[in-house]
Amino acid sequence: MQLVSIGMGFIFLLASLGLFAPVVLMMSQAKTTRVFAIALIVGSNVVGCFVAVLCFWRGSDAVVDLSRFTPFPFALGLDRLSAFFLLLICTVAVPVAIFAAAYFDRHYHEQRCNWMWAFFSLFLLSMIVVVTASTGFAFLVGWELMTLLSAGLILMEGDSAERRHNVFIYLLMMHAGAAAVVASFFLFLPYSHTLDFAAIRAASAGLPVGIRTAIFLLAFLGFGTKAGIIPLHLWLPRAHPIAPSPVSALMSGIMLKTAVYGFVRVAFDLLGSSPWWSGYVVLSVAAVTGILGILYAMAEHDLKRLLAYSSVENIGIIFLGLGTSLVFLAHDAPLGAALALVAALLHAFNHALFKSLLFLGAGAISNSTHSADLNELGGLQNRMPVTGAAILVGCCSIAGLPLFNGFVSEWLTFRSLLAGAALVGTKAQVILPLMVGILALIGGLAASCFVKTFGVSFLGRPRSAGAERAQEAPLGMRVGLLLLAAGCVCIGILPGLLLRPLVALVQGLVPGAGIPEETLSIARIIPWITVFVLGTGALVASFKRHKRMARTWACGLPDLSSRMEYTSTAFSKPIRFVFARVYRPDRRVDQLPGDQPYFPAFISYTYMRTTSYERVFYRPFVDFVVSLAYRLRRLQTGNIQVYLLYIFLALVSLLAFLRFQK
Amino acid sequence: MKIVIGILQVLVLVLGAPLVRGIIARLKALLQRRRGASIWRPYSELFKLLRKEDLVPPTSSVVFRLAPIALFSATTCVAAFVPVVHPSALLASQGDFFLLVYLLALGRFFLSLGALDGGSAFGGMGASREALVSSLAEAPFLLGLAAVAILASHADIAGMVAWTLQQNVFNISAVHILAFTSLAMVFLAETGRMPVDNPTTHLELTMIHEGMVLEYSGPSLAIIEWASAIKLHALLALLIALFGPWGMALTDSPWKLAVASLFYCAKAGFLMALLSVIESAVAKLRMYLVPDFLGVASAVSALAVIFTVLVKR
Repeated sequence: MQLVSIGMGFIFLLASLGLFAPVVLMMSQAKTTRVFAIALIVGSNVVGCFVAVLCFWRGSDAVVDLSRFTPFPFALGLDRLSAFFLLLICTVAVPVAIFAAAYFDRHYHEQRCNWMWAFFSLFLLSMIVVVTASTGFAFLVGWELMTLLSAGLILMEGDSAERRHNVFIYLLMMHAGAAAVVASFFLFLPYSHTLDFAAIRAASAGLPVGIRTAIFLLAFLGFGTKAGIIPLHLWLPRAHPIAPSPVSALMSGIMLKTAVYGFVRVAFDLLGSSPWWSGYVVLSVAAVTGILGILYAMAEHDLKRLLAYSSVENIGIIFLGLGTSLVFLAHDAPLGAALALVAALLHAFNHALFKSLLFLGAGAISNSTHSADLNELGGLQNRMPVTGAAILVGCCSIAGLPLFNGFVSEWLTFRSLLAGAALVGTKAQVILPLMVGILALIGGLAASCFVKTFGVSFLGRPRSAGAERAQEAPLGMRVGLLLLAAGCVCIGILPGLLLRPLVALVQGLVPGAGIPEETLSIARIIPWITVFVLGTGALVASFKRHKRMARTWACGLPDLSSRMEYTSTAFSKPIRFVFARVYRPDRRVDQLPGDQPYFPAFISYTYMRTTSYERVFYRPFVDFVVSLAYRLRRLQTGNIQVYLLYIFLALVSLLAFLRFQK
Repeated sequence: MKIVIGILQVLVLVLGAPLVRGIIARLKALLQRRRGASIWRPYSELFKLLRKEDLVPPTSSVVFRLAPIALFSATTCVAAFVPVVHPSALLASQGDFFLLVYLLALGRFFLSLGALDGGSAFGGMGASREALVSSLAEAPFLLGLAAVAILASHADIAGMVAWTLQQNVFNISAVHILAFTSLAMVFLAETGRMPVDNPTTHLELTMIHEGMVLEYSGPSLAIIEWASAIKLHALLALLIALFGPWGMALTDSPWKLAVASLFYCAKAGFLMALLSVIESAVAKLRMYLVPDFLGVASAVSALAVIFTVLVKR
């Protein structure tokens, strides 16, 4: 009975996202049909949450097999790992869709709006296909659709030359990544003979070391490109900020997690065991990703670009957990591996919640103020109190502060790193505990970054007329934001809700792992801490404080103006100064007229923070590809005789190859 | 009984905090050949401020009023992790030292927000500088604590203290010396003492913590001042507990606890005297030398972690 209901629910979810909602939207422009379609999307995602939870409970597989209708085996299934990511997608999709219902109507005309919703629905479907695929073919179909649909959603917002260029970079890097993913799947083929995950899993024990290494590296590169690890993150701060806010929320909140899912699926599930050094590779890349990601975020004053860079940082934290887990696996310590994997998966879930919350918040802010530049905001807390409260929760969560969800997963990551000290006599004994310092640095910088984000945008005085006139966000947006904020607080205070099922999931991936003691202790202590902090807070708050309004002291001037406040750029100056080597800014000061250095009439100052590796890494590579293409053009003479010669040569060489093979 | 001791320890840390400030101020005055104010002066200042009214800028939001409360409750919670006279604590749990550091971060997060909410340049200045110092101080703080945790094979502060108690005083390892050095440096940075920040300044060129609280007055200021005194006292007690716990009571008997409190007073007095000597003898560092100071602390704490390998083989 339960199995049937899981299957029915899952098919309903797939059908309404993939078929009903888009068809209804395409058939009619009327507002009622759109409302119906939105209700269908929200309702099916709620059903999806229940399906995922039920599946988790039973821990058994439900399968939708479409192989009869497709050229290659195409099947979707729900094991615990898939169910967890299905839960992640559906949980985030519900509030985002509610928010989008209020957002799209205000920003697009009828027809554009319907197209948006159709793509939105299909984009969700493609991500669900990716995380529930049980054959390589289904996975790759979903993977490709996900890229194309998100690019379509970005282009629907507008088609300026700059936007097209950014989308081009996005598509280019996604396809390079997809090529690596495809290659890593195809390397299994000679041994498993089919791309069915069950067959691959069965065959993976017999893989030679070389192939195993190649698969691991290709998967890391491919999924890493999608996840945005540095230096493969180039597309991320370009593509995420230019999408409409609800789409950015889906891209940053969920789409990056599908890459985490893919990596976990290949490295932990399909491959079984990875080379001994794999964990160290992942760890070092993750450390660089985390630190550089948050440093770049710190320097940004465009809210959405800041959030995009902070996604890079959080991917760094997630991969720090995954790398630690691989190190433990390499040293045959399943308990530590399980703990680190729980930490990484929980952080993936948490990041999905708070990052989509913050991206939606950015949408609500720009909806009210028509700006997403922190230096033009300020004073919004009094004008948009509910939005502000939700975003404050998001900022606390992403900064990893206790009582909010980000802390729980960072704490678990810390504990797994500390547990590395028990691997006596190995390199990990030193490396893992030293990583505590790296994660602490990331955490410290993240806290500063989000003090800046919230403080500059919501507190103090408004810095522009737009911020001055801002109105509270409409009801739909507020509901979406509050739902996500409630999720953050809920996991932050009662982490046991999610930790217990996660431990069960990880025990399936890491053979021989018990229940990590740390997951129990955090679930036990956090509620007490909450009671203590809130109790003390209530005690202090009950103390009567007589309030009198008085203007801020302005050193004797009549009054302060918003131009005297610290801006986002000013706030981050000390950190940018200390880490100047990382930023390597290009500064240019131009004075006009040039022949009168002491009496300039006009001074212009430009500051460009070019990412150093863009110059060091990508420029030579792009130049090389372009020059190679020019050289290859000589082969294309346009002369039919030459092409016939090519065909003849190809035929001869193939025949020769066959002759000498025997 | 353990809960009673735990609550008593929190009360000692919270209620005794202003006294610590008073003693340090008095010792500094004596070193500078002034008479100085009474050591009870911080209490009377708190009472004075609590009776006054709260001046609130008209442009500020609810965060401005909420920030002192959040700071106070987070800092009080930190005090509940620190053993004072007995190797146990009210909220002791596995991995609580990460919680300790992050609860301090929680308080600082809200105080910085309150500073930005004032809407003046000084608040932003203080918050921005605090952001620099605190984000660089977190790594050596956690690494130093992690080194001790690895050495003691305990992830809770009370456990580490209990382990250290069983060791011979003369048997301290290099890890302890390195970890103490880095944590002492972090202590100076976290509590805003010389040479990182000058707690007595009101000059905008130099202030960090004072810049953040400049807009606060009356009861709100009292709560903030009390909270930063608790932070000072709790971190002082943490240093004592981790690196010189000898003299703590091993049983619950009131007699032993009384002796342990005397020991605690002596050790705290010694550290306070040391602090006032440092504060009188050392000049404040230029703002952009603070990262170097914390860089040294980070390097020392990393060494402490590396040295644990030599000790635990």
